[in-house]
Amino acid sequence: MFSKVLIANRGEIALRIIRACRELNIQTVAVYSKVDQNSLHVRFADEAVCIGPAQSNESYLNIPAIISAAEITDVEAIHPGYGFLAENPHFAEICESCNITFIGPSAESIRLMGDKVRARETMRKIGVPVTPGGKGVIKDVKEALEIAKKIKYPVIIKAAAGGGGKGMRVCHNDVTLTSSFSMAQKEAEASFGNPHLYIEKYITDPRHIEFQILADKYGNAVHLGERDCSIQRRHQKLIEEAPSPIMDHKLRKRMGDIAVKAVKATNYHGVGTIEFLLDSSGEFYFMEMNTRIQVEHPVTEMVTGIDLIKQQILVAAGEKLRLKQDSIKMNGAAIECRINAEDPAKNFMPSPGKIEELNFPGGFGVRVDTHIYPGYMISPFYDSMVAKLIVFAKTRKDAIRIMQRALDEFYVAPIKTTIPLHAEILEHPVFAEGKATTHFLDKFFKSALEAKT
Amino acid sequence: MNLKEIKEIISLMNENELAEIEIEREGGKIKIKKTMDASSAAVGPPAVAQPYRVETQAAPPAAPAEKASPATSENTKSITSPMVGTFYRSPSPESPPFVDMGQIIEVGQVVCIVEAMKLMNEIKSEFKGKIVQIPVDNAEPVEFGQPLFIIEPV
Repeated sequence: MFSKVLIANRGEIALRIIRACRELNIQTVAVYSKVDQNSLHVRFADEAVCIGPAQSNESYLNIPAIISAAEITDVEAIHPGYGFLAENPHFAEICESCNITFIGPSAESIRLMGDKVRARETMRKIGVPVTPGGKGVIKDVKEALEIAKKIKYPVIIKAAAGGGGKGMRVCHNDVTLTSSFSMAQKEAEASFGNPHLYIEKYITDPRHIEFQILADKYGNAVHLGERDCSIQRRHQKLIEEAPSPIMDHKLRKRMGDIAVKAVKATNYHGVGTIEFLLDSSGEFYFMEMNTRIQVEHPVTEMVTGIDLIKQQILVAAGEKLRLKQDSIKMNGAAIECRINAEDPAKNFMPSPGKIEELNFPGGFGVRVDTHIYPGYMISPFYDSMVAKLIVFAKTRKDAIRIMQRALDEFYVAPIKTTIPLHAEILEHPVFAEGKATTHFLDKFFKSALEAKT
Repeated sequence: MNLKEIKEIISLMNENELAEIEIEREGGKIKIKKTMDASSAAVGPPAVAQPYRVETQAAPPAAPAEKASPATSENTKSITSPMVGTFYRSPSPESPPFVDMGQIIEVGQVVCIVEAMKLMNEIKSEFKGKIVQIPVDNAEPVEFGQPLFIIEPV
């Protein structure tokens, strides 16, 4: 087991990792930018090193600074969290060459799954269902039109180096496909440094179902069930839950077995998430694989009772997986609301500033993963998520009730947050009935806006 | 020592993350200590709002100015580390240090090396002045923004 680990991240996930390390008796090193010097993760770690000024590319994305900090504090491993360098294969390689264990999959796995075209092709060859579409990178508009004719409209153009909902365009006919193609190439080049595109059939009104997987370095792998992340706004998740309200044992076994098969076939180790789209007829298709711990991991932890960060560290340290698939059960229901410092009334404008008043919800079934405290200064340099509010109950209906109660107790002032928005979503009959698809939120906003005018 | 000077010292303490400072000058001695006020309304973790406790005492007259313990005062500047790494006073273990206490240095003069990932980075002074303090030891690890040399500009 590692004796000392450096956490190359900030905010709530850095704190989450420090907590797991403490329970495993591992010494922790926090790194921080100048503006984060009063952060909780800095205070809770055993050691802390300032690595740069506020700007992410000079601090949390600054590989030499982080490696240097790892060397002077003499750590054995680095946990990259999510975002920042978590899916940077170059960083994983540098750690390896410096004899520091990167707590995550191999650089090769990260690279493979980071190239969305290669990932898709790899999955298809293994026998994982993928959305109908082209086989590789599309050469030109002519090829795009040919593929679209075969798979039928609507289609979606995606950037090969993209992911996370960025750089995608839906096209309903030849005219829009032709006009979108070269623009999409330019956008892809600008955003990801790579103009390559691929094309898929656009699944109308799908649910976003993702499977949590865990694999060791000896070829053992399990899945820990699914999460339903259909409540999204512009491809950014707002609310996640486990299990999915429409999942049954048979479908879970089918999808879970495929997820494990994919993991074993690609020699993957660590935690990961395989994202699927589930259409209204019950067909599911591979969308992408995330080779990191995810923001919404707590809902899986609540229903399975398994600490995913600890498992991640154990596996990275070379431990054999002790979990067996048939002993992993999903009990009860968990829901997570991502609380962002944004003003929903002003088109989600970020709301940085000092937190003057703060009251966290509590009680039976409530978990808050956060880095904020009274007097904390939310800086404008990083993402706006300030807390994750997670609830757990025996039934989904009970979980919704607890979440409503908890959101009501959650008081933050004077900064604006998305707490009122979550309360409204939870009251909506579509959500209550478990019928929300990825279009729900946009439809919901449209009707809410119409109601106001 | 007037209120303006005290306020400046407190702000410098904040910038350099110091908990306590004691300064003895001709005409007085002052000690400023950051404390945790147990009655503070902050519910969260410690050290959110930290009140300062200022103690002054009349010093014996004509006491010589003591060297300020790790602190800067209003007429000094710090050369801070621009990166994380290990601080070295000399270009190599056998060589003499680049600069020494009391030395007058020029703008652009190499004052030390900060080694990061096996690369030796020469650190140059932005100021012209006299080195009055070197708060870091040779071969000590340093972080971004850490003061390496305290200079009295000339």
